Formats: sequence, structure tokens, C-alpha cells
Amino acid sequence: MENELIDLIIDDVPVRVPAGTTILEAAKTAGIDIPNLCYLKELGPYGACGVCVVEVENCPKMLRACSAKVAPGMVVHTKSEKALATRKLALELLMGDHDGDCQGPCKLNCPAHTDCQKYVKEIAEGRFADAVATVKETFPLPAAIGRVCPHPCEKACRRNLVEQPISIAQLKYFAADQVRKDGNERPIKVAAPTGKKVGIIGGGPAGLTAAFKLAQWGHDVTVYDQMPEMGGMLRYGIPEYRLPKAILKAETDAIAALGVQFINNFKIGRDADFAKLRSWFDAVIVANGAWKSTAMRVKGEELKGVWGGIDFLRAVVTGEKPDIGERVAIVGGGNTAMDACRTAVRVGAKEVFVVYRRTRKEMPAEDIEITEAEEEGVKFKFLYAPDEIRGRRKPVPVVGKFEEIALDSVIAAIGQRNDPEGFADLPQTPKGTIAADEGNFATTLPGVFACGDTVNKGAGIAIGAIAQANEAALAVNAFLRGGEYKPIKPILSERNLTEKDFEDRPRIARAVMPQRPAEERKHDFKEVNLGLSVEAAQAEAKRCLECGCHDFEDCKLIRYANLVQADTQRLRGDFHPGFTEQKLVTIERNQRKCILCNLCVRVCAEQAKQGLLGLVGRGFKTVIKPEFKDPAATAVCKDCRLCAENCPTGALKIIG
Amino acid sequence: MCDCCEKSDLSKLTPVFEAFAGDDHALISILQKAQEIYGYLPTDVLYAIAEKTGNSPAKVMGVATFYTQFRLKPVGKNLILLCKGTACHVNGADSIEKALVEELGVGDGETTDDGIFSIKTVACLGCCSLSPVMMINEDTYGSLTPAKAKEIVRKIREASK
Amino acid sequence: MKLVFGEGSCGIAAGARKVRAAVEKLNTEGAVEIGITGCIGMCYLEPIVDVYDGGTLVKRLVKVQEKDAERIYRAVAGGGRGATALPELADLEISADDKEFLEKQTRIALRHCGLIDPEDIAAYEAVDGYKAIRKVLAMTPEQVIEEIKISGLAGRGGAGFPTWFKWNAARNAKGEQKYLICNADEGDPGAFMDRAVIESAPHSLIEGMLIAAYAIGATRAFVYVRAEYPLAIVRLEKALAAAKKAGLLGENILGSGFSCDIRIKAGAGAFVCGEETALIESLEGNRGMPRLKPPFPAEKGYTQAPSNINNVETFANVAWIILNGGAAFAAMGTETSKGTKVFALTGKIKRGGLVEIPMGLTLRDVIFGIGGGIRDGGTFKAVQMGGPSGGCIPEHLLDTKIDYKALGATGAIMGSGGMVVMDSHTCMVNMARFFLDFTAKESCGKCVHCRIGTKRMHEILTRITEGKGKEGDVELLQDLCNGIKAGALCGLGQTAPNPVLTTIRYFRDEYDAHIREARCPAHECAALKKFSIDPAKCKGCTMCAKKCPVGAISGTVKQPHVIDQSKCIKCGQCVATCKFGAVTVG
Repeated sequence: MENELIDLIIDDVPVRVPAGTTILEAAKTAGIDIPNLCYLKELGPYGACGVCVVEVENCPKMLRACSAKVAPGMVVHTKSEKALATRKLALELLMGDHDGDCQGPCKLNCPAHTDCQKYVKEIAEGRFADAVATVKETFPLPAAIGRVCPHPCEKACRRNLVEQPISIAQLKYFAADQVRKDGNERPIKVAAPTGKKVGIIGGGPAGLTAAFKLAQWGHDVTVYDQMPEMGGMLRYGIPEYRLPKAILKAETDAIAALGVQFINNFKIGRDADFAKLRSWFDAVIVANGAWKSTAMRVKGEELKGVWGGIDFLRAVVTGEKPDIGERVAIVGGGNTAMDACRTAVRVGAKEVFVVYRRTRKEMPAEDIEITEAEEEGVKFKFLYAPDEIRGRRKPVPVVGKFEEIALDSVIAAIGQRNDPEGFADLPQTPKGTIAADEGNFATTLPGVFACGDTVNKGAGIAIGAIAQANEAALAVNAFLRGGEYKPIKPILSERNLTEKDFEDRPRIARAVMPQRPAEERKHDFKEVNLGLSVEAAQAEAKRCLECGCHDFEDCKLIRYANLVQADTQRLRGDFHPGFTEQKLVTIERNQRKCILCNLCVRVCAEQAKQGLLGLVGRGFKTVIKPEFKDPAATAVCKDCRLCAENCPTGALKIIG
Repeated sequence: MCDCCEKSDLSKLTPVFEAFAGDDHALISILQKAQEIYGYLPTDVLYAIAEKTGNSPAKVMGVATFYTQFRLKPVGKNLILLCKGTACHVNGADSIEKALVEELGVGDGETTDDGIFSIKTVACLGCCSLSPVMMINEDTYGSLTPAKAKEIVRKIREASK
Repeated sequence: MKLVFGEGSCGIAAGARKVRAAVEKLNTEGAVEIGITGCIGMCYLEPIVDVYDGGTLVKRLVKVQEKDAERIYRAVAGGGRGATALPELADLEISADDKEFLEKQTRIALRHCGLIDPEDIAAYEAVDGYKAIRKVLAMTPEQVIEEIKISGLAGRGGAGFPTWFKWNAARNAKGEQKYLICNADEGDPGAFMDRAVIESAPHSLIEGMLIAAYAIGATRAFVYVRAEYPLAIVRLEKALAAAKKAGLLGENILGSGFSCDIRIKAGAGAFVCGEETALIESLEGNRGMPRLKPPFPAEKGYTQAPSNINNVETFANVAWIILNGGAAFAAMGTETSKGTKVFALTGKIKRGGLVEIPMGLTLRDVIFGIGGGIRDGGTFKAVQMGGPSGGCIPEHLLDTKIDYKALGATGAIMGSGGMVVMDSHTCMVNMARFFLDFTAKESCGKCVHCRIGTKRMHEILTRITEGKGKEGDVELLQDLCNGIKAGALCGLGQTAPNPVLTTIRYFRDEYDAHIREARCPAHECAALKKFSIDPAKCKGCTMCAKKCPVGAISGTVKQPHVIDQSKCIKCGQCVATCKFGAVTVG
């Protein structure tokens, strides 16, 4: 009887297995993976999760593949409409009751999804080279971006609900600086050459990131830039006192070291036309940025002494020594305005005003930048907008709501836009930017992709351009391999928390960045921030709440939720009761993520022969707990860790 | 009450263990007898039962928390079982519960500060024709109205003083 | 003359023991013989006292109170004899109408209930008790199973599976030791026939079990009784002891060589233990969580040995079938449902209690014919059948035949026989919420679909009854219902959606009124009630304003008062306080 072979059909595949085999095991022999969460071959079926349900022809009820045995002539459908719907409902019910973060809010809020939690933890553990390698999984410029990024990660940081966010950006550049100092950066692996050539126009954050990625994947990459050095706005728009050129240069050199060819002083339309350049490459990425200042549209704008913000900053960097006189007004409230006013102070202006049409609270610039500008003597005129600029001095009393200020120069830092010249072949948006697909950044020209400040919505923050470049690189890579890249938004579990959830957390102050005093720093271009010490950085990194799940990569629950495209919100309601931090020797239990598959209870009893765990309570309120008379008795746990190893979610974590 | 200060007279369990000696499936029966003896299931009693029956404490706790009959905390002198069965629901069991909560200041699963009453709602007492019904200790009270329910507990409270 | 007191749980709860104690106090010289019996099933008339004269019932006194004890005693102790006697007790006598309640029934499972002393084995033997087991011991087990097959008896616990088939499977299963289990974990709220049988005729259960044990070859048997039935446990214990003493139980029963031992196991409060594999887990001393099927209990049940499980009512029919023949049982009922079925008729019904009728009568026959229709002049809205696994059947389906198939087609089920009648004051959404509250609390928590699914359904239903329902909630409920039916592990979960599905099917308008208009058509949902004062009736006594806990009522003395809706917390104090009926609830 046991040796009898049974023939059946699973998903149209004929299968022959011994009698007594379950449908789930039979399917495996045909390479069909039936999702399941509570099944372990060694323990036999349990039947709790209901994810392995399959439909069998002529059987009115759905069967659990983990326990239903094969029968001769059985016709099984593992993906029938009803099986999928029932499986999806199980996963939606589990996700709706899953009070856990798949990934930290920091990572989710970073446009490029940099794994902040991971590198912060590596820094906390003193593994700085690992931390840099982690950042470089996303982009090649940790020291530069760490200094200039407005860090949306920190805005999302849960530590905001305790006291202040983790200094994620500062930690990032701390690690990069430290590794550069220690000379122990992990080498970047480059795949075997593919023989495909990619041309990238623009050597800013977007172009460099795409180049860095594509080079690692074995493609032959050339980056063209109109300026004498690579770095784009990081070099020509960000002043030295915020991001020293030498630091940026070290990071761009590291990209070149991967075999990426840099060609500077090259401008499309001047040195080659776009069609020609295309013909040299298998694929092209246009990432030429937004290098034109937006006009103020006031009378007198064309007069001498009126500068565009980025034009002024670039002139300072290229050594043109712009003569702006003693009294300077900067119009605008963004970071470029702050960079411009503080640079104006440094090039010798005696009186610098920032004229902004709204209030301080509404300024888009980082608060710390405004404060630092104030410290350096910059004056702010809020709720003012320029009306007219006149060529000569003529004091006029204040009439009504108008005021006349005598100035030597005006710097308009109210925005920037791209320059479409030379790219007539590419379709444009009504704004004049290059139109690219929001998902894979393909243009209508085959093999031409465009990303960064030059496309769609136009100028944004560097990390936003980097995020686009990563997608564009993936798309180029797929294109070069004959495919098409379509990004899929992953389904994730996210917690919704408030201050109340952290009431009992100890308050720990955020690291304070040491700075040079304003009176000293305002006279030169040396870096304002002195950087965190190793001790301060590690202490700061240890403040991390580690929101993201340690088991994200291996979590069966989220894998299946994505597989069936489960709606995680549809069946949200009360969460089952749960506590964190129930420790059993080296196992930390987070009941909030427990799905009651009971595998830990069963392996502890049946495999480890310990029986230390049990289900407590009934129904929705059931929890799994170790039950001991006194804490010292935890010594009976053999620490075999089978429970944690078999947990299909991140409910059990091995610590220490 | 915490584990460390709970000290029950475990010798009372001896006859129970003797009565069920050799029966490997008597855990629920033993817990029922233990609850009759102690009025509830103190933690040390649960551990003693685990040890004696060869079950892990985790399993004993699992069984003791699965069934509604078992109590892990002491109950009041008078246990009110308020029926919330279908017939009682249709005939206004909710208003009886509300009246009891008003009168006693405690709700389902709770005990009054003076320890005179505990309230527990139950699925069905099987006296559906007398609905709404409650049972206090051994006595069943049927065809309740909110006023009648209050009156009954008041009388018992007077008698308990 | 003999006075027999109806002392089932209902009778006792209604005061039967107090009346008997009062009579016994007077009866110091034993002028009157005093006895007890179980529940006759006319719960709405309890306490009931029967007057017997030489074994003949001459008077049935109903709704007897302690104050009536003395005159009953005097009348019986010194009164005349015969059916026309005791004219002084005429006011206590059952009415002709109420007599119909019993007269319209056909009693097989309940045949001895309320008629014999449950604590006296001789009383059972006097009405042909234990004759069937004697007959069976002379038959082969196969013949017994054949007789049950002819009868068409199906499991009365809810599923309606053919009894003979289960017996046969257990008989044919391989195993040295086989077990017979009686499911007396009558958990459906609103059903109490099993309690009545055990309390009123425990020997008929024991005899039925012995016959089944003989048929399947089981030598050990359990009765799993719910802990909420202490009286049933006491009476069953007594009956088992008496049967053992009489040689009807234990080793070598009646010298036949057949041995069977029956033990009681008290449940500890878990509805899911009505599911047979959960019941087995519980019998083994574990958490009552269902097992995967297959293997079925007939193959691997209690301690992995072949086991057969039937419920109390099923067993209560067995001895009758053996004595009267399977054909006599099968002669009653319909094509697909044979014999009789007991219903627990409760709710807004005029005459509530236990009703046993042949299959094939209509719901209308039972509710209006036997039950006398809706009480307090109300109008019928729906009848809930099958408890938390069943559904609500509306007025236009009242002529549905009582038959497994016909009832199933309505979306409800026969179930164990709970029949809860509702009138226009019952909100059907709230009814669905009530059942999901029950199933969510009783879910064992093992499988995802039931554990989280019933909880979510309850949350959605709760928000609808609170006026916080959203457009699309009904569709979401339906989606959940279908998925839970397909994915839940055991019967509890698979049937839990039924009350929701049937109320949506027949009372969708009530759901829509809650969701779209924040209105409860039955005026039951507290959050949606609107209290107002009828100025024509209000005398301006100010009582309601004084009583209102939130100061929502204002007005001057002797002038009509008004309720500020924004402040009103809908507690209903004003309604209870007003002596003029001026507060209306809309």
C-alpha cells in the first residue's frame, strides 16, 4: 500500500508520487511551490494559516495542501480563482493584524530608500567600513550627500516621537570621513564586462550614481560634463564651507576607479550634437541638471550687479571673484539663498540682506542653515518682495508698503531650471523639462533615458535625483539585456505610532555637531562643521530604535503578501495583544509580529523536547508565551534556537 | 498577586491526584477539582499540577487560559453569571448588564472592591424560556428587568454584610 | 394523591423547589405523595405541578407560586378524586390553549421528559426502559446498524450526517480499543433540548449509548457535558450509578458478554468543543482546538483510536427506534429528513419551550401553531435557526418545511434546534453583531480565517450599529464571509458567516438604513436612537430634566421640555422616568 504510486495532475502538470503523500509535497516534486506559513515537513501538518489552500476538482470544499493526501486521478489547482482569493484573504487578515514595520520609516522616506537603519547600526557597532559599503549599495557619494542632504530620513525618524531624530546624515558622512581617514574602504565588486557602452550626459549626483551602478554591472560607461570637474551642483552650487571640494573629489575619483571614463568641458550642441553622441553608445542617460537661474520678472533685472543665485555661486567656485560690492540683497528663501548669502559674507560684503516674501517659518531652507546665516550676520527682511531695481542711488522715503534699499548688487536665488538646448530630439513637458517615464525614466527615444533635475518636475534635492538615477540605471541594464524594467511598489507592513507609544522610553539627547565659531568661519571657506568624534557618533547611532524588521529579507509573510498583492489596509482593525522584549536566553519575542503559526511551540516540544512554550488564552487574544515559575528557570532552555530559526516572520529574534 | 508571594496549601491537592492517578487525560478534570478547592487557580497550584501530571507548565497554563470556566484570580463571594445567549439577547440582556454595572460599579470579569460580587457573562445558561436570566451561585433568576436585577443584588449584598 | 413537581433547570429557576419545600413543610404526616420529574418543555408555564391520582394525571397546575403551596396541599390532601376534582384550583390549571402546545407535538426523543422521575431507574423501566438494549443484545451489531439505517436517523447535533454511516465506519475501523462519545456540550445559545433530556430522562441517553457502543464495538464511552449544566451532571451521575447497580453498565452487561463503561467528563466552557475533533482534544485534557480532518474520528479519534461521536438527542431516539422499528421512525418526516426533531422555541414567542415535531411541518406550524405566535401583540420579523452557525429566516419563508435540505436552501441550517423568534423590535444588524461577538469570543484562535476574520466581521458590524458604517461595508462583509467559509479549519469558522450572510440577504434594507441614514429601523441600536419629548403629552413635571445625567433636557415648570440632541447620550433615563409616556424614541 505504501509503495503504491499515485498519478494526479497539479496545475496541469502530471505528477506521480507514493500513496500517502500530501498535495503540498507532491507539488514540490513538480517544482510547484504552494505558499504556507505553519507547515514544517518534520512536524507534519497543523492547519492554522490557511495559506496553502488548493482547489480540487469535484471537491466542494477547499483543501489544505499541507494535510490533504493525494488520490488517484485527482486534479488540483493551486492557483484557481477561489484558491487565490482564499489565500489572499488569509494574508490580508494576517497583514491587517500585523503590528510591525517591515522597514524603518527613515529608509521608506528616503527617496532612494537608502538603508539608513542598517548603516546606523553598523556605525553603532563601530563597523564604519561596513556602513560606507551599505550606503554605497544605493549611491557612491556618502561624504558629499551626508553633508548636503536635507535628510527626509530624519524627518520620518521615530525618534522624533521620543525627543529628536537620529543624526542620520551626519552619521553617514562621519563614517565616510572615518573610512577615508583609515584607508579601509571595502572594494566595490565589478562584474565581467558586458561589452555594452553607456553614455551619460551630466556628472552630477544623478549621472554619477547611474555611472557607478552601470559600471558595477559590467557596462562600459562614459560620463560627459560641461564643467572642468565632475560633481555637478555638488561642486558648483554647494559652497566649499559646506562641502569641501577635496572630499567630493575623493568620491568622484573612486567612481572613475571602477573604470568609468570622465570627459569634462564637453557640451552637447557645442562639442557634439545629441544624435551623434547617441550613435556612439548602446544606451544614453541624459542627466544634465538644471543650471539656469529663474528670473524674478521685475524691472531692472537686466542691470549690472544683478546675479542669479547659482550663477553667483558657480562664479565663486570657478575663481571669477565676482564683484558684488558691500551691500548685497539675496532674494529667496531656499537653501540656494542661504548658500548665496553666506558666500556673499565670505567674499567680503559688509551688509547682506535676505529678502523673502513670506515669514521665516515658511522658508524652505533648512532651519540650521538660516540660524547659521544669522550667526554670520545676515539680516532678514520678511514679507518683502522686489518691485523694481534701479541703476543709481536715489533715496526715497517709505511710501505705503514700499521701501527702497540702496544696494550694490542683488542675487536672485528663487529657483533654477534646465536648459533644453541641444536636446530638441527629446519630447518636453509644458514646463520645458525633458519628459521621461516616472517609473523607469525612459524617453520616447529607444535607448535614451533621462533623470534628475532635467526631467519632469524639474529641480529637486540631490537624493531625489539619485533615486531616479538608480531606477534609470536598472532600466538601462534591462534594456541592454533586451528586457524592460518596470518598477513594482513593494507591499510593506508599517506601524502607525504616536508619542504615546514611546512614553516610557528614556530620553537621550541628540549628538551636537561641533562647529567653528561664526566670527571665525565667516571670513573663510573652510568647512563650518568639524564632524562628530568616533565616540559621539557611536553613541548617537545607538539611539536608533531599530524600527525596521530584522527578518525582512527572510520573512515568508511579506513575501507571500507581495506574491498575492495583498491589501494591507483593507482589513485593519484592533491588533491582537502583544508585548516586545520577552526574552528567553538569546531569543527575543515580539508578539506583535506573531502570526500564531505555533511552529515555535511545536519545535520546542517535538524537536527540542523542551516544551517550554505554549499558547495562552483563546481566540483573537491568544499569545505564545514561555511559562516559567521564576525567571531563573529560563536556564532550562537549551538555547537551541530552533524556535527562532523556524519562525516564518520576524516575531523571534536571536540576540547576543 | 505575584508568583513569589503566592502560597497555597498544596496538600489539599493530594486526594485529587490520587483520584486521577493513572489517567493521562485528566488535566481538565484536575483543574476543575483544584478550582473547587481554592476558588480559583493560583499560580503555584498550576505549577504543582504541571509537575504532578507530567505536563509542562506552558501546557497547563495553555489549558487553564483556554476554557472560560477557569479563573486565575480569586472571585467575589457571589459569582453572578449573566446569560448573554440569543434568547436573552432578544429579550434585553444588554440592559440587564448595564443595570448590574450601574449597581455594582464593575463589569464583565471584574470583582467589586468589597469582594462581595464578581460578574461574568456566559454564552447560554440553557434557561432560554425565562430570559433574560442570571445565575448567582447556585440560584437562577429569570424574567429579569433592570430594576429586578438591581433589587436581587441589593438583597444579596444586605445579606452578605 | 400525588404531587409531581417539574424540576428541570427552568422549573427550579422559576421556583419549583421553593413550592415543593413549602408543600413538604405542611405534609408532615405524609397525606400527599410527593415526587419530582424533569422538564416537560413548557418552560413558559413553569413552575408546573402535576396532580396524579393512582397513576393518572388529573390536573396540571401551572405558574405555581410559593403562596399557592398551602391551598394546593389542602386541596389535594383533603380533596375529592378524579378529573373533575379540585375545583378550587381551577385558576392554576393549564388552559385549553396551552394544552395544545403539547398535544400538537410528537415526542420520541423527549418521550419521557416531564413524565417520569429522572432519578429513579424503576420509573424508566416502568415505561419500557432498557427493553431495547435487551433486544439489541440478541441481535448482531450489523443488524442494529441496519435498523438505524432503515430509520434514516441523522445526527441531531447540527450537521445532519447519517448516524448509521458513522456507526458503520467506526465498526469497520481497525483498532483494539474503540470509543463512543456523547456530545452533550450543547453550546448553541438558545438550544437546551440536550440539557432537558439529561435532566429529565438520563436513562434514555444511557440506553441509546449502550446500543451504539454495542453496534460499533466500543467498550468505553464518555459523556462530555458542559459545565454550565450542573443539574444534568448530578442526575446523569445518579443514573449511571443506578444502571451499574442494575447490571446494565460495566462488565458483562446482563450476562451477554458485552461490556461497556460510561464516564462523565465535564467541559470547561468552550463552544468550539462542540466540534468533534476539538471535543476529542478536550477529552484528552488539551486546549479544545480542532484537528485537521482527515483523519476522521472514526479512524483516529480519542487517543488516536477509532471513535464515534453523536449528540444527546440522537442517542435519545435510538432505544425508541429499536423497540418500534426503523420503519416506524422513517414513516415520519420528508424524503430527505426522517423522524422527529426537537426545537427550543424562544425569543418573542407567546409559548416558549421544547417542541418535538415530525420533520416536514412548516416553520409557521411551529411558531404560530404550537408557539402561539408573537407575544405582547408584536409582529413577526424573523426566526433565527441553528444558533451562531445558522441564519435568520424572514416572514416570507415561514412556509418552509422543516427539513435539512429546505432549511439549508434558506441560508440557515437545522442546527441543533435553536429557534429564536424575533419581532419588529429586533435589529437584524445588531443580531448579526451579537452572533459574531459570540463566534469571535469562542473562536479557538487556531486558524487565521476564523481568528482574525470573525474579529474583523464583528468590528465592522459594530461600527455599522454605531452609525459609523461606511459605504462598501456590506460588500466587505460579504467578501469576508465567503473567504472565511472557504478557508476556516473547522465547522465553527466555516459557518460563522451564516448569520451575517442571511441578514444581508433578507434584511439588506436594515444595513443600508444604518449605513446611509444612521437610522436603526428597529430602534434597537442605542447609538442611533433619537429621544424626543412629545409636547402634547409633556406636563412639564421636570422629572426627566432632573434625572438626565448630562443636562440635555431643558424647559420651564409646567411647560413642555425639550431634549438637546447634541448633548444627549441616549441613556434612556428620561424614558424610564417619564410618567406620562411623553418621551418617544425614534
